[in-house]
Amino acid sequence: MIGWLRHQKHALTAALNRLRSQPVATLLTALAMGVAISLPSGLYLVLGNLSRLAGDLPAQPEISVFLDTDVSSAQKQALAARLRQSDIASARHVPKDAALAALSAEQGLADITAGLTQNPLPDAWVVRPQATSREELARVAAELSKLPGVAETHLDSQWADRLQAALAIGRTGVWLLVGLFAIALVAISGNAIRAQVLTRRDEIQVSRLIGATDRYIRRPFLYLGALQGLLGGLAAGGVLAVAGALLQAPVERLAGLYGSAFHLLPPTGFEIAAVLGLTTLFGWLGAWLSVARALQQLESTR
Amino acid sequence: MISFSQVTKRYPGGHEALSAVNLAIEKGELVFLTGHSGAGKSTLLKLIAAIERPTSGVVSVNGQNISRLSHLAVPYLRRNIGLVFQDHKLLFDRNVIENVVLPLDIAGFERRDALKRARAVIDKVGLLHREKANPISLSGGEQQRLCIARALVSRPALLLADEPTGNLDAGYAADIMAMFRDFHQVGTTLVIATHDDRAIAALGGRILHLDHGRIGEVAAS
Repeated sequence: MIGWLRHQKHALTAALNRLRSQPVATLLTALAMGVAISLPSGLYLVLGNLSRLAGDLPAQPEISVFLDTDVSSAQKQALAARLRQSDIASARHVPKDAALAALSAEQGLADITAGLTQNPLPDAWVVRPQATSREELARVAAELSKLPGVAETHLDSQWADRLQAALAIGRTGVWLLVGLFAIALVAISGNAIRAQVLTRRDEIQVSRLIGATDRYIRRPFLYLGALQGLLGGLAAGGVLAVAGALLQAPVERLAGLYGSAFHLLPPTGFEIAAVLGLTTLFGWLGAWLSVARALQQLESTR
Repeated sequence: MISFSQVTKRYPGGHEALSAVNLAIEKGELVFLTGHSGAGKSTLLKLIAAIERPTSGVVSVNGQNISRLSHLAVPYLRRNIGLVFQDHKLLFDRNVIENVVLPLDIAGFERRDALKRARAVIDKVGLLHREKANPISLSGGEQQRLCIARALVSRPALLLADEPTGNLDAGYAADIMAMFRDFHQVGTTLVIATHDDRAIAALGGRILHLDHGRIGEVAAS
């Protein structure tokens, strides 16, 4: 056990020394990894902020029901009767005159409404169904829209639903990108480690002759790959921090124009740890594949 | 300690380096392998250290059958064998003491103990004043002594040396052979491939003569 720990410490020190002895190569590899990782993780952050924006909107389980302009009074009564049924929590009638008056009261719109020769607005109901689930809302809206005299229904949460659906696609895209860039990461790490193994051929062969196990030989390279992955993750963090700092002011300005206090949120500690953990893991994996292959080749060319 | 039974080694391409070799070497023996270059001396040493595997026959070291030794067991066999190479196989990216400490690092020694032992063996081969030097700055004789120090630092029971004095002038060669005699006297088993007759005469011991892959024993001098 103590011998094992000693070997780990020895390999870690060796790996650190190798990284330090080639600062430029280390930095370039870390940057290549960092840029690769910053793409999926940056997209992840953007999506997270967007869905937070969508989530902040008041959930309005309301259906606006607009009537035909030539609706008959019988049809109006049939609709009113339907809206008294038990699946409707409340229904508020908005006559077209009241709607026009409300519109005129809105700042800046009085001039426009004053110029109208006749009221273009339809009579409407604002309906709040008993159930608030998305499916139930859609069902009630569809049913109401089929009633005679109803021109159209409008589900007020519709655009939020569409945004959620778009975000769901975006999230799937993020995972696809994560998969692709994980492969890229393994390839970058494997390539860097392969170069290391080749420059250390002599050491590997001599070590084997004096009793080194493959595990002993592999260990510093694995640490090297893992450390390189960790540095790549940190580099990605740097790239995203710079991007976030550059975007913060314009985003806040845009949000301000919409009267919102929205601002970009940085990743959580857990998310940062997860990214660093994954990059370390994939750096290690790339190193493992590369060293295993190189050792096999050295074995056969001996 | 070492026994060969009907051992044949044929390399890819058909060259037969050893043909039906039988031999036995006891613990604590000092054995010289002689013969012209290409007679199979290096191959014989490589078979003992499991660097090569026999084409047929049985090589056994310390009671272990080398032909059947698993890939994973080979490193542990080699930790009991000190290897001295004609081309030294030193690592030029580290200094003298780091070269000598390498086998102890591999075996998992504590760093401070390892350095202490390495320093003792470097002192024994007379290189203590160069312990921080890069091996590339050493003379041929010093490099060979460094190689011997690395072979001995883990106190192996068996030392294999392939032409240890091959590139050295007579003075250095005598130094190194004197060192080998000391190890022999403390009980180390030595197998030395050489065609340095003076060395053989100076040390005495058993002589195995190889000729085109066949072995013949010469009376011990």
